[in-house]
Amino acid sequence: MTPMPLLEMISYPFMQRALISGVLLGVLLAYLGIFVTLRKMAFFGDGIAHSSLAGIAVAVLAGWAPLPVALALALSIALLIFWLERSTRLPTDTLIGIFFTASMALGVLLMSFSSGYQPELVSFLFGSILAIQNTDLIITALVGGAIVAWLGLSFRSLTYMSLAEDNAAVAGVNIRLHTAALYAALALATVLGVKILGVVLVSALLILPAATSRLLTRSFRSYTIGSLILAEVMIIGGLLFSFRYDLPSGATIVLIGTTLFFLAAIARRLAR
Amino acid sequence: MRAPSAKTNNTSRGIPAISIRDCVVAYGDNIVIDGISLDINQGSIAAVIGPNGSGKTTLIKAIIDLVPMKSGDIRILGKHLHSVRQMIGYVPQRFDFDRYFPMTVGEFLDLARRIHCQKHFPASRVEHKLREVGLPKETLYKHLGELSGGQLQRVLIAQALINDPSILFLDEPSAGIDIMGEAAFFEILKHLKTEHDTTIIMVSHDITMISHIVDTVVCVNHKLLCFGSPAEALTKNKIEELFGAHQHPYNHPGHGADHDRKPAK
Repeated sequence: MTPMPLLEMISYPFMQRALISGVLLGVLLAYLGIFVTLRKMAFFGDGIAHSSLAGIAVAVLAGWAPLPVALALALSIALLIFWLERSTRLPTDTLIGIFFTASMALGVLLMSFSSGYQPELVSFLFGSILAIQNTDLIITALVGGAIVAWLGLSFRSLTYMSLAEDNAAVAGVNIRLHTAALYAALALATVLGVKILGVVLVSALLILPAATSRLLTRSFRSYTIGSLILAEVMIIGGLLFSFRYDLPSGATIVLIGTTLFFLAAIARRLAR
Repeated sequence: MRAPSAKTNNTSRGIPAISIRDCVVAYGDNIVIDGISLDINQGSIAAVIGPNGSGKTTLIKAIIDLVPMKSGDIRILGKHLHSVRQMIGYVPQRFDFDRYFPMTVGEFLDLARRIHCQKHFPASRVEHKLREVGLPKETLYKHLGELSGGQLQRVLIAQALINDPSILFLDEPSAGIDIMGEAAFFEILKHLKTEHDTTIIMVSHDITMISHIVDTVVCVNHKLLCFGSPAEALTKNKIEELFGAHQHPYNHPGHGADHDRKPAK
């Protein structure tokens, strides 16, 4: 890739919006991905992303902006899962499976009332760099910024809680509050990523950077930094590559991440 | 049933380290702890024993508020737990962590230090606590997953000691470690008692350990069945009542190979 096309690419306003949004999402999802892998919650992001389809369908039918509706629905589902987990004692993945399929079913049912091709729905399903509007960018900056700030304040408590929950509780960490807040943050961050990566692929950004970094690092510090760098490489590389070769952004980002994961797995094997 | 305070060399102290009154804990309709009352004196080592499923771990967890009580009152150093949290250390029965998670021993201990006592203790405390449990400085740089069972247990104890607790709770601390590891563990407990005057309460299956280093035995089978020094509490009848005649896996101090060993002072 010559320097000129790169400069040209980032001169487009839609590309600037996608890159700014992508960089913020990279920080957000890489940080949260650490807790997703540590707590074995990989299905959570996937379930929430698919659940957001019902909110998108409601918004498309009503003519509302899809992102705020999808965020509100995802937040409600995350808190409902948290409550049901404690009141029914059912495993989290069972509850996620129920909401995942129920919301998808509702979304499909609602969309059947809307005739014709739905470009907005397709962009939500598979992600599009053209889809990021100014309002989306503002929402991503505000909601994403708030989650990053909370993560900054609670990072140690969340890590300790995820490693040794009873010890964290004895030390005074409010386990219920932190768990509910983590679920809410995961749900909101996942839906923020839906515009670029799509409902089907967004959870990859929660899993791939953390999983790849884990193959290459021994300490928590290097693991965290590695996850952040890998997420940004995936997103920025994926966005530029998808624009340059006119490919779907979500799929490009995920396949770059998957390639990095396999390279890391080979490097780890060779290093032994 | 209210058990008398154990007779230790600390009886002159007014406030018990732990005071439990009419503690009832239930999981749904299943009553696990049924009206237990007892006092544990400051500076003593107490062992909670009983058959599997008797509520030993639940009793410990109720004291440190990891499971809610249905009724009753528990005081730690005369206060409710929330005001003395910083004076407590806890080593869980199982540490179900992902052994391949990228974290060094130093990072793990420093995390505990920062959670417990961000401003009060310097970073050098991590190294100091590691030495206190008999591990060399180099262990700081080891990956958590590289540790043997005995080393991991010492690291967990170091983590529980990071805030210099007045009371240390251990849930089956000698499970999964070999005889050498167990001997080293006894030394750590003795050191904590003699050098730091730490009160230690542990769930244990190990009658040998009880007769060696424990001041107070708390026998539990949902209710409190016996309480006192090992010689007082662990009579043949009590052990048979607790574990069933000819079924208990233990020798008791008065009838086994350990009968002539003296309890710790």
